[in-house]
Amino acid sequence: MDKKKYGVYICTGCGIGDTLDMESLVAVPDDEGVNCTTHPFLCSKEGVDLIKADIAGGKVNCMVIGACSRRVNFDVFRFDDCIVERVNLREGVAWPHSRETYPMLTEDQKDDEEHFDPVQMKAEDYIRMGMIRLEKVKLPEPYKTASFSKKILVLGGGVTGMSAALDAAKAGYEVTIVEKTDKLGGYAAQMRSQMPVVEPFESLRAPVVNDLVAEIGKFSTITVKTGTEVARIAGQPGEFTVTFKKPGEKIPFDVPFPLPEEMKFDDKGKELDAAAQHVKYLAYNEGRVDILTLDPDGELYGAVILAAGWRPDKIEGEAFAHLGIDLADVITNDEFEKIAAKGKIVRPSDGKEAKNVVFIQSPGKNEDDADFEYAGSVTSQVALKQAKYVREDYSDGKAYIIYQHMRTPGLQEYFYKSMQQDDGIFMTKGAVTSVVQQGNGLAVSAVNTLLGENLAIKADLVVLAGGMVPVTKDDPVINLAYRQGPAFRDNEIFGQYADSNYICFPYETQRTGVYAAGAIRRAMTIEESMEDATGAALKAIQCIESANRGMAVHPRSGDMTFPEFFFQRCTQCKRCTVECPFGALDDDEKGTPKANPTRCRRCGTCMGACPERIISFADYTIDSIGSQVKAIKVPSEDDFSEPPFRFLALICENDAFPALDMVGLNRMDYSPNVRFVPVRCLGSVNTIWIKDALAQGMDGVILIGCKHGDDYQCHFIKGSELAEVRVKKIGDALSSLALEEERVAFAEVAIDEYDKLPGIINAFVKEVEDLGPNPFKGF
Amino acid sequence: MTEKYLAQPDLGFIAQVRGLGGETLKKCYQCATCSVACPIAPENSPFPRKEMIAASWGLKDRLIKSADIWLCHQCGDCTDLCPRGAAPGDVLSAVRSAAITEYAQPKFLANAVNDPKKLPLLIGIPAIWFALLALITVYGKETMTSIFNVFGISWSHAHEGAEHVIAQADFFSTWFVDMTFVPIATAVAVIFILSLKRFLTDIHENAVLEGKTDKMSLDYKAILQALVKVIPMVLKHDKFNECESNKDRATPHMMVLYSFIGLFIVTSIGFVLLYIAQMPGPYSQLSPMKWLANISGVALVIGSGLMIKNRLDKKEEQKTYYKDWFILGVVFSLGLTGMLTEMARLAHMAYVSYFFYFLHLIAIFNLFAFLPFSKMAHLVYRLTAMAYAEYGNRK
Repeated sequence: MDKKKYGVYICTGCGIGDTLDMESLVAVPDDEGVNCTTHPFLCSKEGVDLIKADIAGGKVNCMVIGACSRRVNFDVFRFDDCIVERVNLREGVAWPHSRETYPMLTEDQKDDEEHFDPVQMKAEDYIRMGMIRLEKVKLPEPYKTASFSKKILVLGGGVTGMSAALDAAKAGYEVTIVEKTDKLGGYAAQMRSQMPVVEPFESLRAPVVNDLVAEIGKFSTITVKTGTEVARIAGQPGEFTVTFKKPGEKIPFDVPFPLPEEMKFDDKGKELDAAAQHVKYLAYNEGRVDILTLDPDGELYGAVILAAGWRPDKIEGEAFAHLGIDLADVITNDEFEKIAAKGKIVRPSDGKEAKNVVFIQSPGKNEDDADFEYAGSVTSQVALKQAKYVREDYSDGKAYIIYQHMRTPGLQEYFYKSMQQDDGIFMTKGAVTSVVQQGNGLAVSAVNTLLGENLAIKADLVVLAGGMVPVTKDDPVINLAYRQGPAFRDNEIFGQYADSNYICFPYETQRTGVYAAGAIRRAMTIEESMEDATGAALKAIQCIESANRGMAVHPRSGDMTFPEFFFQRCTQCKRCTVECPFGALDDDEKGTPKANPTRCRRCGTCMGACPERIISFADYTIDSIGSQVKAIKVPSEDDFSEPPFRFLALICENDAFPALDMVGLNRMDYSPNVRFVPVRCLGSVNTIWIKDALAQGMDGVILIGCKHGDDYQCHFIKGSELAEVRVKKIGDALSSLALEEERVAFAEVAIDEYDKLPGIINAFVKEVEDLGPNPFKGF
Repeated sequence: MTEKYLAQPDLGFIAQVRGLGGETLKKCYQCATCSVACPIAPENSPFPRKEMIAASWGLKDRLIKSADIWLCHQCGDCTDLCPRGAAPGDVLSAVRSAAITEYAQPKFLANAVNDPKKLPLLIGIPAIWFALLALITVYGKETMTSIFNVFGISWSHAHEGAEHVIAQADFFSTWFVDMTFVPIATAVAVIFILSLKRFLTDIHENAVLEGKTDKMSLDYKAILQALVKVIPMVLKHDKFNECESNKDRATPHMMVLYSFIGLFIVTSIGFVLLYIAQMPGPYSQLSPMKWLANISGVALVIGSGLMIKNRLDKKEEQKTYYKDWFILGVVFSLGLTGMLTEMARLAHMAYVSYFFYFLHLIAIFNLFAFLPFSKMAHLVYRLTAMAYAEYGNRK
């Protein structure tokens, strides 16, 4: 874009024109010498053609569209090579604030220094804020990697890995499967049968493994590396440099680990400087090449599918003592499956036929109803399947299932029903209190069962429903050569599963370009894993194709901006490297950050973190938001005898902003004295904006974002959590300025809690109004 | 905490219940809609939810010994509302049949009654027996008269020659008929008494175990008193009338019950008239006894006919199994052959009347001789269970 040519277009439809004083509104850009056009129906063909004609005529390439929310008519108001700023006059101004509540000023009231029109003031501020943003931002240029590969690396040669590889290959991509053991198949290869997969969902079938192995053999585009594991994956999506090795081998390109926290301090407890830490880091990782050095013999891949699977849980320890876990004939479902695969069900203790088998689904005695850890619907279904084995092997066999939860989602309900119909299968909800040896067999006691309070069953064999532990619990597996470490960081919140937000973003891990599928994501059946594999394969392809065009993959799909650094002012504080939720930034020995744009999800957390404010995106900078804040007019006693308060709300555009749109859509009123500035994520909020707002006399600032913690909904995992910490810290700075801490608030809202938003906003406004106006007002 | 219960599923019992019309027993997923829907279940541990899991687990001991299965009148409300199609009403009915079989002795007879393949035998044996008796009556008149004269009793109750009345006694000696049925009735009574003793002990033990009674011991006198209280309830069909789905079944059932009572009275009077007053039948159509007999006979035919019709109409909602058809068939043929015998006699069609009487005797035999083994035994078990529930304060 050579020269910016500005224009403002205001739609007067949808009640905007009836609510606002259009003459005064148009005067705002006019006063700045910017042409302003109004139209009664701007999103109509006629309206859009009007803008297009101005573009074609060379009159405009940067425009403010004052109309509906940017969340609607997105494609209508998208013009190539133009910067478009959508000003939310409809959902943000005209709809929530009706003229019944806020009557228009009469001619006499205008300019009497007593009366003011809060709704008109809000609209005018928004137009000003939109105009200044256009001045401050640039049209993004896509980032291109130096080299590029479209190959997909699949970690794990089980059912999930093979299915993902097949799906990707069928879509035309080259795939390499890496399998640690010496043959493909994974756990499913060791099973007797798998759950039914077709109607009527009543009979078991042989595992699909052999079919998959045979199909893989037909694809020349699939390379299989058995007896191999990944030593490290370096670089970024589109150009991952991967070093392979034999399992257990030690090689220079084994991934280095970050320095443990306790080693970053000297004997006196003082934190070491960057150089000293680097020396320690090198010693800690002796024999391993640093992450920034790429393996010259490494292979290039575009994206990674993580299908490393699971291991059977070990059921051990005092918590399970009542289940007789030390008895030879008390085994896990995994051990049972292996017995079943070999032949008839027999007891491990004496090899005799096991005709009475009790399956225990939940270990909680009578204290809680939890299932075993890492269990899920799959463990319910496995119990049904294994009960069927008992019936297959012995016509007089009896299988008992004692559960707290029997989960058979979807069409597997038919499988449950058919198992119920089997005369020799007995199920009850209940809490197992003990399993003991009794004579030659076992005695199982349960309470609170459907058959009464206190139940006893004689058994030859007891099977415990052990869960499926994701291998990421024990081992990083992916071995990423990232400064934040080779594994997924902060994985406790995900129960060590490879995940980032299983509801909104399935398959996506905390590392862009690495997509998880199958039991590494949650306990799942073969059928579910195969479907999951398709999802992950598609995600990997999406990642490659997006990275190839310099676009973000998700959640900001198509975003072509990426963090840019003004390195002259970098103090090497590493805050950006450390705080990035996706490990996108590496740093060198001095601590200077190295951006890996295709790893980046464009949340702006680095921008929020940087104390020097040297990080920016083409259309999202410290200055662009800061200028918008400064464009808000703060009325003082010079303007009105009783000036209205002025508040800034920095609102997360992922959930909170749509919720606010819904507030408008539902015509719910809230204080019109609050100016909302959408931000990419609360993590991107730099505290300078808050300080600037208060310094220019605004009375309070509220941050509204997604929930964090266990029930987190943050699209960027850590954003709102970081923001809350930063807001707390800013409190100290405020008190040094003799400002009350309450002037800066933090609120969380879920997308479906729009009805709570007016309450949250008004409560904050009321609290600050009670404190009185900002003493800096008017300076 | 109740005592620990050792569950020992019996696969044979599950198969038995399936065979007796409880095919759906394993479909239950224990939502307890049935217990909520049941208009007559007591509040304290209501049926049939717990009976359903016991059935699907094959816990024969728990079901057979439970009085609750008899408190169920198979209204069908539970079956209608069951979200899983588990038909608790039908399952309980099957369990009751299994219980009858369990308590009745000798076992082979009990099994025969529930086995369609044995039906020719159940009909054939009395057919041959009565044919034999008819032969003797018709052809061995002199011999029998002389044998009877030895004891000083008259052989024939037929109206010899003079009045030209057709009497069944001409074809089947009343002596033979009663010598068949009096011992059978005695045997049936003995079988019932023995069964009931075990039954009462069992249901009491079960009620104590499951906390369904406040009585700790069996007091037979008190149970008899309870029985007296229960009888008017049964006569009025109080429980049956609480049903929703199968309300229309109550009236025919009542008709059949009352006709049996009527016929029992008539038979008793006939017995007295014949052996004590020495007044053999047939009796005048104008006598009150005949009125009662005719009304009862018609009620029996209509009542059982309606029951059959209901079941045929409701093939989808209410499954009917062999055990049901057997007893309905017996009762209906009993009434029908009885009426036809009488009508043929009044029409002076002697041999037609004898033939129907022959069939009638076979039907009576099937009803009486198999009473402790067929569904008809519910008369005794349900009455006992209801009396026990009254005694044990089952609420």
